Amino acid sequence: MSKVIVVTSGKGGVGKTTSSAAFSAGLAARGHKTAVIDFDVGLRNLDLIMGVERRVIYDFVNVINGEATLKQALIKDKRVDNLYILPASQTRDKDALNKEGVESIINELKADGFEYIVCDSPAGIEKGAFMALYFADEAIVVTNPEVSSVRDSDRILGILQSRSKIAEDGGSVKEHLLITRYSPDRVEGGDMLGMDDIVEILSIPLIGVIPESGTVLQASNSGNPVIMDKESTAGQAYEDVVSRFLGEDIPLRFVDVEIKKKGFFQKIFG
Amino acid sequence: MNLKGEMSMLNVLHLEHTDVDAITAELQKKRDEMPQFFMQSPVVVDCNILGENVTDFDFLTLKESLLKLGFIPVGVRNIPASMNASLAKAGWAVMRESRKAYVEDNTKESSSEVNNESNKDHNTEKNNDITIKDVTNDPEQNLVEDQGLQQAVQAPRGAAMIKSLTVVKPVRSGQQIYAAESDMTVLAQTSAGSEIMADGSIHVYGALRGRVLAGAMGNESARIFCQSLQAELIAIAGRYQLLDESDTKLIGKPAMIKLSGEKLIIEPLMS
Repeated sequence: MSKVIVVTSGKGGVGKTTSSAAFSAGLAARGHKTAVIDFDVGLRNLDLIMGVERRVIYDFVNVINGEATLKQALIKDKRVDNLYILPASQTRDKDALNKEGVESIINELKADGFEYIVCDSPAGIEKGAFMALYFADEAIVVTNPEVSSVRDSDRILGILQSRSKIAEDGGSVKEHLLITRYSPDRVEGGDMLGMDDIVEILSIPLIGVIPESGTVLQASNSGNPVIMDKESTAGQAYEDVVSRFLGEDIPLRFVDVEIKKKGFFQKIFG
Repeated sequence: MNLKGEMSMLNVLHLEHTDVDAITAELQKKRDEMPQFFMQSPVVVDCNILGENVTDFDFLTLKESLLKLGFIPVGVRNIPASMNASLAKAGWAVMRESRKAYVEDNTKESSSEVNNESNKDHNTEKNNDITIKDVTNDPEQNLVEDQGLQQAVQAPRGAAMIKSLTVVKPVRSGQQIYAAESDMTVLAQTSAGSEIMADGSIHVYGALRGRVLAGAMGNESARIFCQSLQAELIAIAGRYQLLDESDTKLIGKPAMIKLSGEKLIIEPLMS
Protein backbone atom coordinates (compact mmCIF):
# COMPACT_ATOMS: atom_id res chain seq x y z
CA MET A 1 0.00 0.00 0.00
CA SER A 2 1.46 3.32 -1.00
CA LYS A 3 1.05 6.34 1.19
CA VAL A 4 0.89 9.97 0.14
CA ILE A 5 2.40 12.28 2.73
CA VAL A 6 2.21 16.05 2.45
CA VAL A 7 4.80 18.20 4.18
CA THR A 8 3.07 21.50 4.82
CA SER A 9 3.00 24.46 7.20
CA GLY A 10 1.08 27.47 5.93
CA LYS A 11 3.96 29.78 6.73
CA GLY A 12 7.02 30.11 4.55
CA GLY A 13 10.61 29.55 5.55
CA VAL A 14 9.92 27.14 8.38
CA GLY A 15 11.71 24.18 6.81
CA LYS A 16 9.19 22.36 4.64
CA THR A 17 11.59 21.65 1.80
CA THR A 18 14.48 20.79 4.13
CA SER A 19 12.17 18.41 5.97
CA SER A 20 10.75 16.91 2.76
CA ALA A 21 14.26 16.24 1.49
CA ALA A 22 15.48 14.75 4.77
CA PHE A 23 12.34 12.70 5.35
CA SER A 24 12.17 11.20 1.87
CA ALA A 25 15.93 10.47 1.85
CA GLY A 26 15.53 8.81 5.25
CA LEU A 27 12.66 6.61 4.05
CA ALA A 28 14.56 5.63 0.90
CA ALA A 29 17.74 4.87 2.87
CA ARG A 30 15.75 2.31 4.84
CA GLY A 31 14.81 0.53 1.66
CA HIS A 32 11.43 2.09 0.88
CA LYS A 33 10.88 3.20 -2.68
CA THR A 34 10.13 6.89 -2.29
CA ALA A 35 9.27 9.78 -4.58
CA VAL A 36 9.38 13.39 -3.49
CA ILE A 37 7.39 15.94 -5.50
CA ASP A 38 8.04 19.67 -5.46
CA PHE A 39 4.66 21.45 -5.58
CA ASP A 40 6.22 24.90 -5.41
CA VAL A 41 5.72 25.65 -9.10
CA GLY A 42 7.51 28.87 -10.00
CA LEU A 43 9.75 28.83 -6.92
CA ARG A 44 11.52 25.55 -7.48
CA ASN A 45 13.74 24.76 -4.49
CA LEU A 46 13.64 21.07 -3.73
CA ASP A 47 16.05 20.25 -6.56
CA LEU A 48 18.62 22.59 -4.98
CA ILE A 49 18.28 21.09 -1.52
CA MET A 50 18.56 17.62 -3.07
CA GLY A 51 21.52 18.67 -5.19
CA VAL A 52 19.94 17.71 -8.51
CA GLU A 53 19.36 21.16 -9.98
CA ARG A 54 21.66 20.52 -12.91
CA ARG A 55 19.90 17.30 -13.81
CA VAL A 56 16.41 18.74 -14.36
CA ILE A 57 15.21 18.22 -17.93
CA TYR A 58 11.47 17.82 -17.58
CA ASP A 59 9.34 18.83 -14.64
CA PHE A 60 6.04 18.24 -12.88
CA VAL A 61 4.10 20.62 -15.14
CA ASN A 62 5.52 19.03 -18.30
CA VAL A 63 4.15 15.70 -17.12
CA ILE A 64 0.74 17.17 -16.23
CA ASN A 65 0.54 18.74 -19.69
CA GLY A 66 1.58 15.51 -21.37
CA GLU A 67 4.81 17.05 -22.74
CA ALA A 68 6.91 14.40 -21.04
CA THR A 69 6.36 11.04 -19.42
CA LEU A 70 6.68 10.61 -15.67
CA LYS A 71 9.68 8.37 -16.24
CA GLN A 72 11.47 11.13 -18.16
CA ALA A 73 10.81 13.70 -15.46
CA LEU A 74 11.68 11.64 -12.39
CA ILE A 75 15.28 12.16 -11.29
CA LYS A 76 16.91 9.21 -9.61
CA ASP A 77 19.07 10.19 -6.65
CA LYS A 78 22.70 9.17 -7.01
CA ARG A 79 23.43 8.80 -3.30
CA VAL A 80 20.41 6.84 -2.10
CA ASP A 81 18.79 3.98 -3.97
CA ASN A 82 15.00 4.02 -4.08
CA LEU A 83 14.84 7.83 -4.02
CA TYR A 84 13.32 9.77 -6.91
CA ILE A 85 12.71 13.48 -7.24
CA LEU A 86 10.02 15.11 -9.34
CA PRO A 87 11.04 18.77 -9.68
CA ALA A 88 8.68 21.71 -10.04
CA SER A 89 8.66 23.99 -13.03
CA GLN A 90 10.49 27.26 -12.54
CA THR A 91 8.96 29.02 -15.53
CA ARG A 92 5.29 28.43 -14.77
CA ASP A 93 2.99 29.27 -11.89
CA LYS A 94 0.61 27.39 -9.63
CA ASP A 95 -2.26 27.69 -12.08
CA ALA A 96 -0.51 25.06 -14.17
CA LEU A 97 -1.53 22.51 -11.53
CA ASN A 98 -4.90 20.78 -11.62
CA LYS A 99 -6.51 18.01 -9.64
CA GLU A 100 -6.80 15.58 -12.54
CA GLY A 101 -3.16 16.02 -13.54
CA VAL A 102 -1.87 15.63 -9.98
CA GLU A 103 -4.08 12.62 -9.41
CA SER A 104 -2.90 10.85 -12.53
CA ILE A 105 0.74 11.39 -11.54
CA ILE A 106 0.15 10.10 -8.02
CA ASN A 107 -1.71 7.08 -9.38
CA GLU A 108 1.08 6.37 -11.82
CA LEU A 109 3.65 6.54 -9.02
CA LYS A 110 1.55 4.15 -6.95
CA ALA A 111 1.28 1.77 -9.89
CA ASP A 112 5.05 1.96 -10.30
CA GLY A 113 5.46 0.52 -6.82
CA PHE A 114 6.38 3.65 -4.90
CA GLU A 115 5.69 3.02 -1.22
CA TYR A 116 5.86 6.64 -0.15
CA ILE A 117 5.01 9.73 -2.15
CA VAL A 118 6.14 12.84 -0.31
CA CYS A 119 4.52 16.10 -1.45
CA ASP A 120 6.57 19.19 -0.63
CA SER A 121 3.97 21.93 -0.28
CA PRO A 122 4.57 25.59 -1.08
CA ALA A 123 3.81 28.17 1.60
CA GLY A 124 0.42 29.82 1.78
CA ILE A 125 -3.06 28.39 1.49
CA GLU A 126 -3.53 28.98 -2.22
CA LYS A 127 -3.70 26.61 -5.11
CA GLY A 128 -0.21 25.11 -4.83
CA ALA A 129 -0.62 24.25 -1.15
CA PHE A 130 -4.12 22.97 -1.79
CA MET A 131 -2.98 20.71 -4.62
CA ALA A 132 -0.14 19.36 -2.47
CA LEU A 133 -2.47 18.34 0.33
CA TYR A 134 -5.53 17.28 -1.65
CA PHE A 135 -4.50 13.65 -2.18
CA ALA A 136 -2.65 13.20 1.13
CA ASP A 137 -3.20 10.24 3.44
CA GLU A 138 -0.97 11.70 6.10
CA ALA A 139 0.42 15.14 6.80
CA ILE A 140 3.59 16.35 8.45
CA VAL A 141 2.88 19.86 9.66
CA VAL A 142 6.11 21.77 10.06
CA THR A 143 6.08 24.48 12.72
CA ASN A 144 8.68 26.83 14.16
CA PRO A 145 8.48 27.72 17.84
CA GLU A 146 6.90 31.12 17.31
CA VAL A 147 3.29 32.29 17.40
CA SER A 148 2.69 33.19 13.77
CA SER A 149 4.03 29.87 12.55
CA VAL A 150 1.83 28.00 15.04
CA ARG A 151 -1.22 30.02 13.99
CA ASP A 152 -0.60 29.28 10.31
CA SER A 153 -0.14 25.59 11.03
CA ASP A 154 -3.46 25.62 12.82
CA ARG A 155 -5.05 27.13 9.73
CA ILE A 156 -3.55 24.53 7.43
CA LEU A 157 -4.76 21.75 9.76
CA GLY A 158 -8.28 23.09 9.31
CA ILE A 159 -7.91 23.01 5.55
CA LEU A 160 -6.47 19.50 5.67
CA GLN A 161 -9.40 18.17 7.62
CA SER A 162 -12.00 19.83 5.46
CA ARG A 163 -10.77 20.18 1.91
CA SER A 164 -8.54 17.19 1.31
CA LYS A 165 -9.95 14.29 -0.68
CA ILE A 166 -10.04 12.02 2.36
CA ALA A 167 -11.97 14.64 4.32
CA GLU A 168 -14.40 15.12 1.45
CA ASP A 169 -14.99 11.39 1.52
CA GLY A 170 -15.72 11.56 5.23
CA GLY A 171 -12.37 10.37 6.58
CA SER A 172 -9.54 12.24 8.19
CA VAL A 173 -5.91 12.82 7.29
CA LYS A 174 -3.45 11.47 9.86
CA GLU A 175 -1.59 14.43 11.35
CA HIS A 176 1.98 14.65 12.60
CA LEU A 177 3.56 17.71 14.17
CA LEU A 178 7.19 18.42 13.35
CA ILE A 179 8.80 21.28 15.22
CA THR A 180 11.89 22.63 13.49
CA ARG A 181 14.52 25.24 14.37
CA TYR A 182 14.06 24.45 18.05
CA SER A 183 16.46 26.00 20.44
CA PRO A 184 16.12 24.75 24.04
CA ASP A 185 18.25 27.64 25.33
CA ARG A 186 15.95 30.23 23.88
CA VAL A 187 12.89 28.37 25.12
CA GLU A 188 14.43 28.42 28.59
CA GLY A 189 15.06 32.14 28.21
CA GLY A 190 11.44 32.69 27.23
CA ASP A 191 12.19 33.92 23.68
CA MET A 192 10.64 30.90 22.03
CA LEU A 193 7.50 28.87 22.54
CA GLY A 194 8.21 25.57 24.27
CA MET A 195 7.30 22.35 22.51
CA ASP A 196 4.68 21.54 25.16
CA ASP A 197 2.94 24.83 24.44
CA ILE A 198 2.93 24.15 20.71
CA VAL A 199 1.52 20.66 21.19
CA GLU A 200 -1.09 22.09 23.54
CA ILE A 201 -2.17 24.73 21.02
CA LEU A 202 -2.29 22.45 17.98
CA SER A 203 -3.27 19.27 19.85
CA ILE A 204 -1.88 16.83 17.30
CA PRO A 205 0.74 14.11 17.92
CA LEU A 206 4.37 15.18 17.86
CA ILE A 207 6.58 13.23 15.46
CA GLY A 208 9.79 15.04 16.18
CA VAL A 209 11.71 18.14 17.21
CA ILE A 210 14.59 19.29 15.02
CA PRO A 211 17.10 21.44 16.89
CA GLU A 212 18.35 24.67 15.36
CA SER A 213 21.65 23.76 13.77
CA GLY A 214 24.16 25.38 11.47
CA THR A 215 24.57 22.10 9.63
CA VAL A 216 21.09 22.50 8.12
CA LEU A 217 22.17 25.57 6.20
CA GLN A 218 25.45 23.97 5.15
CA ALA A 219 23.62 20.86 4.00
CA SER A 220 21.12 22.92 1.99
CA ASN A 221 23.83 24.94 0.32
CA SER A 222 25.77 21.84 -0.62
CA GLY A 223 22.68 20.02 -1.88
CA ASN A 224 22.85 17.17 0.60
CA PRO A 225 19.75 16.33 2.64
CA VAL A 226 20.75 17.01 6.25
CA ILE A 227 19.72 13.51 7.29
CA MET A 228 22.83 12.24 5.49
CA ASP A 229 25.01 14.09 7.98
CA LYS A 230 25.09 11.47 10.72
CA GLU A 231 27.16 13.71 13.00
CA SER A 232 24.78 16.64 13.17
CA THR A 233 22.04 16.84 15.78
CA ALA A 234 19.53 17.89 13.13
CA GLY A 235 20.41 14.88 10.97
CA GLN A 236 19.98 12.54 13.92
CA ALA A 237 16.69 14.17 14.87
CA TYR A 238 15.39 13.61 11.31
CA GLU A 239 16.46 9.96 11.56
CA ASP A 240 14.32 9.73 14.69
CA VAL A 241 11.40 11.28 12.81
CA VAL A 242 11.67 8.61 10.11
CA SER A 243 11.84 5.89 12.79
CA ARG A 244 8.76 7.24 14.53
CA PHE A 245 6.92 7.53 11.24
CA LEU A 246 7.68 3.86 10.59
CA GLY A 247 6.19 2.95 13.94
CA GLU A 248 9.13 2.90 16.38
CA ASP A 249 8.64 4.41 19.81
CA ILE A 250 11.77 6.35 20.66
CA PRO A 251 12.33 9.22 23.08
CA LEU A 252 12.84 12.80 21.95
CA ARG A 253 16.41 14.05 21.77
CA PHE A 254 17.99 17.50 21.74
CA VAL A 255 15.05 19.16 23.47
CA ASP A 256 16.63 19.98 26.82
CA VAL A 257 19.19 22.60 27.64
CA GLU A 258 22.59 20.95 27.66
CA ILE A 259 24.26 21.07 31.00
CA LYS A 260 27.68 22.38 30.23
CA LYS A 261 30.19 20.97 32.64
CA LYS A 262 32.60 23.55 33.80
CA GLY A 263 36.25 22.68 33.84
CA PHE A 264 38.31 22.71 36.98
CA PHE A 265 39.82 26.12 36.30
CA GLN A 266 36.50 27.61 35.29
CA LYS A 267 35.09 26.45 38.61
CA ILE A 268 37.80 28.27 40.46
CA PHE A 269 37.98 31.41 38.36
CA GLY A 270 34.63 31.33 36.60
CA MET B 1 -44.63 16.51 -2.70
CA ASN B 2 -44.33 16.43 1.04
CA LEU B 3 -46.53 18.45 3.39
CA LYS B 4 -45.52 18.22 7.01
CA GLY B 5 -46.26 20.12 10.17
CA GLU B 6 -43.04 21.77 11.15
CA MET B 7 -42.13 24.76 13.20
CA SER B 8 -39.74 27.37 12.01
CA MET B 9 -38.36 30.71 13.07
CA LEU B 10 -40.97 33.48 13.28
CA ASN B 11 -40.91 36.92 14.77
CA VAL B 12 -43.67 37.41 17.30
CA LEU B 13 -45.09 40.87 17.78
CA HIS B 14 -46.61 41.13 21.26
CA LEU B 15 -49.25 43.85 21.22
CA GLU B 16 -49.32 45.90 24.41
CA HIS B 17 -51.85 48.55 23.37
CA THR B 18 -54.21 49.23 20.50
CA ASP B 19 -52.55 52.36 19.08
CA VAL B 20 -51.59 51.19 15.59
CA ASP B 21 -49.67 54.35 14.70
CA ALA B 22 -47.46 54.03 17.76
CA ILE B 23 -46.85 50.36 17.02
CA THR B 24 -45.92 51.21 13.44
CA ALA B 25 -43.46 53.84 14.63
CA GLU B 26 -41.81 51.40 17.05
CA LEU B 27 -41.57 48.75 14.38
CA GLN B 28 -40.03 51.17 11.97
CA LYS B 29 -37.39 52.08 14.54
CA LYS B 30 -36.60 48.39 15.16
CA ARG B 31 -36.44 47.66 11.48
CA ASP B 32 -34.14 50.58 10.74
CA GLU B 33 -31.69 49.28 13.36
CA MET B 34 -31.35 45.96 11.54
CA PRO B 35 -32.89 46.27 8.09
CA GLN B 36 -31.16 43.17 6.75
CA PHE B 37 -32.38 41.08 9.60
CA PHE B 38 -36.04 41.95 9.27
CA MET B 39 -36.20 42.11 5.50
CA GLN B 40 -39.13 39.96 4.34
CA SER B 41 -39.33 38.24 7.70
CA PRO B 42 -42.59 36.59 8.74
CA VAL B 43 -44.41 38.05 11.74
CA VAL B 44 -47.02 36.57 14.04
CA VAL B 45 -49.10 38.96 16.11
CA ASP B 46 -49.74 37.88 19.68
CA CYS B 47 -52.68 39.49 21.48
CA ASN B 48 -52.31 37.83 24.85
CA ILE B 49 -51.47 41.08 26.68
CA LEU B 50 -54.33 43.00 25.10
CA GLY B 51 -56.90 40.64 26.57
CA GLU B 52 -60.41 41.88 25.95
CA ASN B 53 -59.19 45.08 24.26
CA VAL B 54 -58.31 43.05 21.22
CA THR B 55 -61.79 43.44 19.80
CA ASP B 56 -61.07 47.16 19.24
CA PHE B 57 -57.86 46.51 17.40
CA ASP B 58 -57.48 47.58 13.78
CA PHE B 59 -55.85 44.54 12.21
CA LEU B 60 -56.30 45.85 8.69
CA THR B 61 -54.14 48.93 9.28
CA LEU B 62 -51.55 46.84 11.12
CA LYS B 63 -51.33 44.48 8.20
CA GLU B 64 -50.78 47.34 5.77
CA SER B 65 -48.11 48.86 8.04
CA LEU B 66 -46.29 45.54 8.35
CA LEU B 67 -46.27 45.05 4.60
CA LYS B 68 -45.08 48.59 4.04
CA LEU B 69 -42.17 48.02 6.44
CA GLY B 70 -41.13 44.89 4.59
CA PHE B 71 -42.48 42.30 7.04
CA ILE B 72 -44.74 39.47 5.98
CA PRO B 73 -47.77 39.26 8.25
CA VAL B 74 -48.54 35.60 8.80
CA GLY B 75 -51.00 35.09 11.59
CA VAL B 76 -52.62 36.15 14.81
CA ARG B 77 -52.81 34.23 18.05
CA ASN B 78 -54.42 34.51 21.45
CA ILE B 79 -57.60 36.07 20.18
CA PRO B 80 -61.14 35.27 21.27
CA ALA B 81 -62.83 32.65 19.12
CA SER B 82 -65.47 35.16 18.08
CA MET B 83 -62.86 36.97 16.01
CA ASN B 84 -61.59 33.93 14.12
CA ALA B 85 -63.92 34.29 11.18
CA SER B 86 -63.37 38.00 10.55
CA LEU B 87 -59.58 37.68 10.79
CA ALA B 88 -59.50 34.68 8.52
CA LYS B 89 -61.48 36.68 6.03
CA ALA B 90 -58.94 39.49 6.27
CA GLY B 91 -56.22 37.02 5.27
CA TRP B 92 -54.69 36.29 8.69
CA ALA B 93 -53.95 32.78 9.80
CA VAL B 94 -55.36 32.12 13.24
CA MET B 95 -52.78 30.31 15.33
CA ARG B 96 -53.60 28.28 18.34
CA GLU B 97 -51.08 28.28 21.10
CA SER B 98 -48.62 30.56 22.73
CA ARG B 99 -45.55 29.77 24.69
CA LYS B 100 -42.99 31.83 26.41
CA ALA B 101 -40.31 33.04 24.08
CA TYR B 102 -37.45 31.00 25.46
CA VAL B 103 -39.21 27.68 25.25
CA GLU B 104 -40.26 28.56 21.76
CA ASP B 105 -36.80 29.47 20.66
CA ASN B 106 -35.46 26.20 21.88
CA THR B 107 -38.13 23.92 20.62
CA LYS B 108 -38.10 24.89 17.02
CA GLU B 109 -37.80 22.17 14.49
CA SER B 110 -34.63 23.66 13.22
CA SER B 111 -32.05 23.12 10.62
CA SER B 112 -28.39 23.11 11.48
CA GLU B 113 -25.89 24.06 8.96
CA VAL B 114 -22.18 24.14 8.91
CA ASN B 115 -21.09 27.25 7.22
CA ASN B 116 -17.45 27.29 6.49
CA GLU B 117 -15.75 28.98 3.64
CA SER B 118 -13.03 26.42 3.56
CA ASN B 119 -14.95 23.66 5.19
CA LYS B 120 -18.00 22.24 3.58
CA ASP B 121 -17.81 18.95 5.29
CA HIS B 122 -16.71 19.44 8.84
CA ASN B 123 -17.28 16.40 10.95
CA THR B 124 -20.50 16.96 12.72
CA GLU B 125 -23.21 14.84 14.13
CA LYS B 126 -26.77 15.93 14.29
CA ASN B 127 -28.75 15.02 17.29
CA ASN B 128 -32.48 14.99 17.43
CA ASP B 129 -32.94 13.32 20.75
CA ILE B 130 -33.39 16.29 23.00
CA THR B 131 -36.90 16.75 24.20
CA ILE B 132 -38.53 19.84 25.51
CA LYS B 133 -38.19 18.57 29.07
CA ASP B 134 -34.49 19.15 29.05
CA VAL B 135 -35.11 22.75 28.24
CA THR B 136 -37.62 23.38 30.97
CA ASN B 137 -35.55 21.63 33.63
CA ASP B 138 -33.65 24.84 34.14
CA PRO B 139 -35.16 26.42 37.26
CA GLU B 140 -34.82 29.86 35.71
CA GLN B 141 -37.30 28.84 33.08
CA ASN B 142 -39.99 29.14 35.73
CA LEU B 143 -40.55 32.58 34.37
CA VAL B 144 -42.55 30.85 31.72
CA GLU B 145 -45.84 32.58 32.10
CA ASP B 146 -49.31 31.33 32.89
CA GLN B 147 -50.29 28.17 31.11
CA GLY B 148 -47.16 28.25 29.01
CA LEU B 149 -45.08 25.99 31.22
CA GLN B 150 -47.81 23.45 31.62
CA GLN B 151 -48.24 23.30 27.93
CA ALA B 152 -44.57 23.04 27.37
CA VAL B 153 -43.99 20.19 29.76
CA GLN B 154 -47.04 18.34 28.57
CA ALA B 155 -46.17 18.72 24.93
CA PRO B 156 -46.11 15.26 23.47
CA ARG B 157 -42.65 13.76 23.21
CA GLY B 158 -41.38 14.20 19.71
CA ALA B 159 -43.72 17.03 18.89
CA ALA B 160 -41.20 19.66 19.73
CA MET B 161 -37.67 18.46 19.36
CA ILE B 162 -34.68 20.64 18.99
CA LYS B 163 -31.65 19.97 16.93
CA SER B 164 -28.17 20.33 18.20
CA LEU B 165 -25.03 20.53 16.15
CA THR B 166 -22.18 18.46 17.55
CA VAL B 167 -18.69 19.23 16.32
CA VAL B 168 -16.26 16.44 17.15
CA LYS B 169 -13.05 17.81 15.67
CA PRO B 170 -11.01 20.88 16.58
CA VAL B 171 -12.26 24.10 15.03
CA ARG B 172 -9.08 25.48 13.51
CA SER B 173 -7.96 29.02 12.84
CA GLY B 174 -9.84 30.45 9.86
CA GLN B 175 -12.76 28.04 10.17
CA GLN B 176 -16.25 29.25 10.79
CA ILE B 177 -19.11 27.08 11.94
CA TYR B 178 -22.68 28.22 12.30
CA ALA B 179 -25.47 26.24 13.90
CA ALA B 180 -28.65 27.76 12.49
CA GLU B 181 -31.68 27.70 14.81
CA SER B 182 -29.87 25.29 17.03
CA ASP B 183 -27.48 24.83 19.93
CA MET B 184 -23.91 23.82 19.31
CA THR B 185 -21.64 21.46 21.20
CA VAL B 186 -17.95 21.34 20.40
CA LEU B 187 -16.16 18.32 21.86
CA ALA B 188 -12.68 19.49 20.88
CA GLN B 189 -10.86 22.79 21.13
CA THR B 190 -11.52 25.91 19.10
CA SER B 191 -8.37 27.69 17.96
CA ALA B 192 -7.45 31.34 18.03
CA GLY B 193 -8.71 32.85 14.78
CA SER B 194 -11.70 30.51 14.53
CA GLU B 195 -15.34 31.51 14.84
CA ILE B 196 -18.28 29.49 16.16
CA MET B 197 -21.82 30.78 16.04
CA ALA B 198 -25.17 29.37 17.05
CA ASP B 199 -28.68 30.74 17.25
CA GLY B 200 -28.94 28.93 20.56
CA SER B 201 -26.41 28.20 23.29
CA ILE B 202 -22.88 26.97 22.77
CA HIS B 203 -20.97 24.36 24.78
CA VAL B 204 -17.25 23.83 24.30
CA TYR B 205 -15.46 20.97 26.04
CA GLY B 206 -11.95 21.64 24.76
CA ALA B 207 -10.15 24.94 25.20
CA LEU B 208 -12.22 27.83 23.82
CA ARG B 209 -9.74 30.11 22.09
CA GLY B 210 -11.46 31.67 19.09
CA ARG B 211 -14.50 33.87 18.75
CA VAL B 212 -17.77 32.57 20.13
CA LEU B 213 -21.18 34.04 19.30
CA ALA B 214 -24.31 32.58 20.91
CA GLY B 215 -27.85 33.75 20.23
CA ALA B 216 -26.75 34.91 16.81
CA MET B 217 -30.29 35.72 15.69
CA GLY B 218 -31.04 37.66 18.84
CA ASN B 219 -31.93 35.03 21.42
CA GLU B 220 -30.98 36.83 24.63
CA SER B 221 -31.33 33.75 26.80
CA ALA B 222 -28.65 31.89 24.89
CA ARG B 223 -25.55 31.11 26.92
CA ILE B 224 -21.98 30.03 26.42
CA PHE B 225 -20.49 27.20 28.47
CA CYS B 226 -16.86 26.22 28.32
CA GLN B 227 -14.24 24.19 30.17
CA SER B 228 -11.36 26.57 29.55
CA LEU B 229 -12.22 30.16 28.74
CA GLN B 230 -9.52 31.64 26.52
CA ALA B 231 -11.77 33.14 23.85
CA GLU B 232 -10.77 36.21 21.87
CA LEU B 233 -14.28 37.56 21.69
CA ILE B 234 -17.53 36.55 23.35
CA ALA B 235 -20.99 37.59 22.17
CA ILE B 236 -24.60 36.85 23.03
CA ALA B 237 -27.46 38.27 20.97
CA GLY B 238 -25.25 40.93 19.43
CA ARG B 239 -23.68 42.17 22.68
CA TYR B 240 -20.02 41.46 22.39
CA GLN B 241 -16.89 41.87 24.43
CA LEU B 242 -13.21 41.24 23.92
CA LEU B 243 -12.11 38.89 26.64
CA ASP B 244 -8.96 40.93 27.19
CA GLU B 245 -11.09 43.93 28.02
CA SER B 246 -13.12 42.13 30.64
CA ASP B 247 -11.95 42.01 34.24
CA THR B 248 -12.79 38.34 34.65
CA LYS B 249 -10.58 36.15 36.78
CA LEU B 250 -11.84 33.07 34.96
CA ILE B 251 -9.48 33.03 32.00
CA GLY B 252 -8.39 29.45 31.41
CA LYS B 253 -11.08 28.17 33.76
CA PRO B 254 -14.50 26.59 33.35
CA ALA B 255 -17.01 29.38 32.83
CA MET B 256 -20.53 30.25 31.81
CA ILE B 257 -21.42 33.44 30.01
CA LYS B 258 -24.91 34.88 30.02
CA LEU B 259 -26.57 38.14 29.17
CA SER B 260 -27.98 40.28 31.95
CA GLY B 261 -29.65 43.35 30.52
CA GLU B 262 -27.05 44.74 28.15
CA LYS B 263 -24.11 43.25 30.02
CA LEU B 264 -22.31 39.98 29.48
CA ILE B 265 -21.81 38.19 32.78
CA ILE B 266 -19.01 35.65 33.14
CA GLU B 267 -19.56 33.19 35.97
CA PRO B 268 -17.62 30.17 37.16
CA LEU B 269 -19.05 26.94 35.83
CA MET B 270 -19.85 24.62 38.71
CA SER B 271 -19.01 21.05 38.09
